[in-house]
Amino acid sequence: MVQQALNGISFGALLFILAAGLSLIFGMMDVVNLAHGGFYMLGAYVALTVVQRTGQFWLGLLLAPLLVGALGLAIEPLLLRRLRGRHLDQVLLTIGISLVIGDLIGLVAGREIRSLPFPAGLDHSVPIMGGDYPVYRLFVIAFGIALAVLFAFVHRRSRIGALIRAGVDDAPMLAALGVDIDRLFATTFGVGAALAAVAGVIAAPVFGVFPGMDVDALIYSLIVVVVGGLGTLSGAIAGGALVGPADTFGKVLFPQFALALIFAIVAFVLLLRPTGLLGRVRIAR
Amino acid sequence: MIETCDLRRTFGGVTALDGVSLRVDAGERRAIIGPNGAGKTTLFNILTGELEPTSGAVLLGGDDVTRRPPYELARRGLARMYQRNELFETLSAEDNVLLALGAARGPYRPLGSPTAAERASAWEILESVGLGARESAPARSLSHGERRQLELALALAQRPRVLLLDEPTAGMSPGETARITELIAGLERSLTIVIVEHDMDVVFRLADRISVLHEGRVLAEGTPDAVRGDRVVNEVYLGKVVA
Amino acid sequence: MNRFALAALTVAAAAVLITFPLWSSGWESSRYATTILRDMLVLAILALSLDLLVGSAGLPSLGHAAFFGAGAYGAAIVAQRLGNDDLLLGLGAAVGASALLALVIGLFAVRAAGIFFLMLTLAFAQMVFAVAFQAVDLTGGSNGLAGVHRPQLLGLDFNGPDALFELVASLFVLVVLILWRVRSSTYGRALVGLRENERRMRALGYDTTRLKLSAFVVAGALAGIGGALSGWSLRFVSTNDVGIPRSIEAFVSVLIGGTGSLLGPAIGAVVVLYVERVLPSSIPFAETVLGLMFIVFVALARQGIVGLGRAAYRRVRA
Repeated sequence: MVQQALNGISFGALLFILAAGLSLIFGMMDVVNLAHGGFYMLGAYVALTVVQRTGQFWLGLLLAPLLVGALGLAIEPLLLRRLRGRHLDQVLLTIGISLVIGDLIGLVAGREIRSLPFPAGLDHSVPIMGGDYPVYRLFVIAFGIALAVLFAFVHRRSRIGALIRAGVDDAPMLAALGVDIDRLFATTFGVGAALAAVAGVIAAPVFGVFPGMDVDALIYSLIVVVVGGLGTLSGAIAGGALVGPADTFGKVLFPQFALALIFAIVAFVLLLRPTGLLGRVRIAR
Repeated sequence: MIETCDLRRTFGGVTALDGVSLRVDAGERRAIIGPNGAGKTTLFNILTGELEPTSGAVLLGGDDVTRRPPYELARRGLARMYQRNELFETLSAEDNVLLALGAARGPYRPLGSPTAAERASAWEILESVGLGARESAPARSLSHGERRQLELALALAQRPRVLLLDEPTAGMSPGETARITELIAGLERSLTIVIVEHDMDVVFRLADRISVLHEGRVLAEGTPDAVRGDRVVNEVYLGKVVA
Repeated sequence: MNRFALAALTVAAAAVLITFPLWSSGWESSRYATTILRDMLVLAILALSLDLLVGSAGLPSLGHAAFFGAGAYGAAIVAQRLGNDDLLLGLGAAVGASALLALVIGLFAVRAAGIFFLMLTLAFAQMVFAVAFQAVDLTGGSNGLAGVHRPQLLGLDFNGPDALFELVASLFVLVVLILWRVRSSTYGRALVGLRENERRMRALGYDTTRLKLSAFVVAGALAGIGGALSGWSLRFVSTNDVGIPRSIEAFVSVLIGGTGSLLGPAIGAVVVLYVERVLPSSIPFAETVLGLMFIVFVALARQGIVGLGRAAYRRVRA
């Protein structure tokens, strides 16, 4: 029972890490980045390659977001910028990007299911309340909390955070005030992509690395932000905290209906609060 | 005909309407004036069902229609001319009016097309507002004055009992203003009209009675002459009212 | 062009299409061409049904394959369970299943607008996928339903590849005619009004939520026809027919071909299927090509191939 609770929490932490990037990009740029799953997948495969070559998980955790973030940083000015103001078209563009990423990964890395081994030091279990629990999942929880704290700090205290808060509120105003919107948006997209990659690396030892993982990740991150609230950090936390345990318990208690439970929550939240539990009202056309 | 009872509306900490009670009789022409921020647009949005009041009631033809959705109010005979045009931009003027005409019968006629009679009605309505020659022009290619005329045409096409006009002459040249004012003045007397306006000449030309709105409350109400001479109104407007 | 000439042209085009296997039998790769064209027509039906939502009503649905799959499963399962291969029964089951699913999903989805609608349709499509995946007894799960029988009607069976093609082509023509009628009708105009200015539609007296829901159901039902045809063509129904990749495939077809016309989605389907099926024999990265094409069209040629054609035509005339 405790095991399942911890599973739920660690899955929730993972979902938070996964959804944070999506929420950030939407909050700032009003774009639902449907390539988010692709970046997640790319992160996992980059880490896989790094581990295969060097055996170093932590190096993978470092390199993957850097590389994927750089990709995101390049994509925004190349492709998204020319569609600024056309929010729906930007979303469609990200679909195209996800198709390309998905196919290229499949071509380069093959289509078998692979797995990333647990990093040394985190590959054992510890006794918790009567049973043995994998340390890695505890690490995931810790990582998620650390990331949330880091975000909260940056968000509230730093200049970048102020820019983000202002940008989420009113990007055109920021531009009018002389802030380099182009650089801000490019950076945001890059950071969002990097976050997706981080989630991909962290999730890889638990969930594996395989074609189609991008779709799964995308769906989950959409569910989390829709439930928790699109565009806010606390929304991603709330969504993760709700969906993670719900999904885990659902799968354990009634496996046939676990999915229905998740979507029931989605439908319920949407009917009552269309902008998600903690979301901001946006007029997206 | 259309009535509000102690209508209140707050947005967060801001009180837009602070107990507005109005009663417009059938066939009456009522103008609602007041400075910006007085709550006129909020009032209209509540009357048409696009906004819900925090408290209070709206009655249409004696029936309580508070919190009813816009389409239901439209079916009960309420039509609105928006302050900022809400047109079907890529469609022709004729198609715009046809959509308005089609609302009464409903859209679920998958095998039906606009009949000759409907097209004739559409043309008649466009003619009546002065757009007879422009019926096939896409809405977005019309001049500002023409777009306002089309906006009025859409409202008229609904064959309403009550017509709400939200700043009909906004942004118009004097010639266009005069034309639209005469158009409205020439509408059937059985039609109840509530008009929000800033242009006092238009107000005095059209209104039977005037309600002055200020800070979410009705400051004064009466015939144009009475309002014109009202001391409080003059103070509030500080010379905006033609003395 | 007067109406009589247009009608005659349409009938002629339909006849040419439906009899394709007959007049192409002399070709070297006739069998292959028939199969590819058949699958193009099936995808075209899906794309055309989606365009009723995207192009006419302005509802960008990324989960449309859910109804395609529902139709495919519906037709196959009913035929299997009842041991009856009748064409009308199969079609009825397909349309019934897909319309019902569209009604259920639509009740939730149409309450959202724009981006939220898009995300909801994605999520629901995935849900349907998951249900199909898990309900192994009914749907065969990831293995799918194999050995789907091709239908027959009044003794006429559609087992042979030519006969099946003629069935697919005929239903394609039927769907095109239905959509053509719907789009030019009062109902179709109301959908366009919905797309152009929903606020005004509500102010005019239209119940826009119900209008959206009806479009959703009609589009879903038509997609179901495509699904049934897919199952019969491949003699196989699987979760591939439901999920997000199939939905995106349909959306890409609509966009590349051009929304808002009957020709656009059909052309788009031809292009997409060509890239997915014919091109891979030459190059291994077909999906990438498709993704790049999609990006290019979204960024530079938003009106699609039909839009490009229209612009070129206008330039020539000027």
